[in-house]
Amino acid sequence: MTLPSRRAFATAAMAALLVGCGGHGADRATTAHRRSTPPPSPSPDKAVHALGRSVPVTLRIPAIGVDTPVIQLGLASDGSVQVPPIAAHDRAGWYRHSPTPGRIGPSVILGHVTVGTYGDGVFRHLARLRRGDRIVVRLENGTTAEFAVTSVRTVAKAEFPADAVYGDVDRPELRLITCGGSRTGDGYLDNVIVFAALSSATP
Amino acid sequence: MRRTVLSAMALASTAVLASTVPAFADGASPTPTARRSATAAPAPATTAPTRAPSATPAPTTASSEPSAVPTRAPASRQVSVVPSGAPNTGVVPVSKQSGAGGGLIGGGAAAVFVVGGAAVFVVRRRRATGA
Repeated sequence: MTLPSRRAFATAAMAALLVGCGGHGADRATTAHRRSTPPPSPSPDKAVHALGRSVPVTLRIPAIGVDTPVIQLGLASDGSVQVPPIAAHDRAGWYRHSPTPGRIGPSVILGHVTVGTYGDGVFRHLARLRRGDRIVVRLENGTTAEFAVTSVRTVAKAEFPADAVYGDVDRPELRLITCGGSRTGDGYLDNVIVFAALSSATP
Repeated sequence: MRRTVLSAMALASTAVLASTVPAFADGASPTPTARRSATAAPAPATTAPTRAPSATPAPTTASSEPSAVPTRAPASRQVSVVPSGAPNTGVVPVSKQSGAGGGLIGGGAAAVFVVGGAAVFVVRRRRATGA
């Protein structure tokens, strides 16, 4: 093989190599792992009165542009918590075996981070929340409960902190849960959990 | 001179192929592939199959108490039934047809090699004919 031929062949080979690398890079670029975990800390505001029982109907999180209806969720057949249906405009879901928002205890609301072919889920940017951000829940009886974020945690699913999420507390609190972290074949390795406490309520 | 031109042609053709492959990798979903919709319908699961709080042993396996309302758990925890495991609240977007994507990338690389080989052949032939 002559010199120019070698050059041409080497150029083609290099280009092919770059093509292969480029394809994988594009695939991975979306899985940037952000572990934004300010340490959980108790919230100062504690003097807000607990509300009566009334199921949540809408959820607003202005900091990340969430404004969604809230459905009710129970348990799946395997004993895990149900999640909202995979749909184009997915909604958040309140776990009905937890207190309603504003009652004393941890009220649990879940939403998808992504919904497969439909793209982003309602809680796509949940991990961007910061301490002090507002979460507004409107209840069926017309009351609006406003919560303030106390901490955001990203935890491995294998080490899901059930006690911290579902355990008893001495004031009205809220948990927002979605998935996050690295992706595997069809899911995520981590959960993003937002802890919030009731800051005000308007009838 | 001709060599330079031919080398440039080989480079240009590989560049064209290189630009097409990422486009394939991005949208490699020939069918919608309805990924396992983890929960078919959320609503009527009011039977609460596993009563999680394990503080009380509850020895009666055949406890068919008809009056036990699911939401009013025996141990009055604030969350009356603690789910098992972690919530599965994310179905990964379509980008993961790694089999198809890998095939396309491999095919693209093969095409690049074919073009490169053709360029080599043309150069050699030109030189043989006395260019």
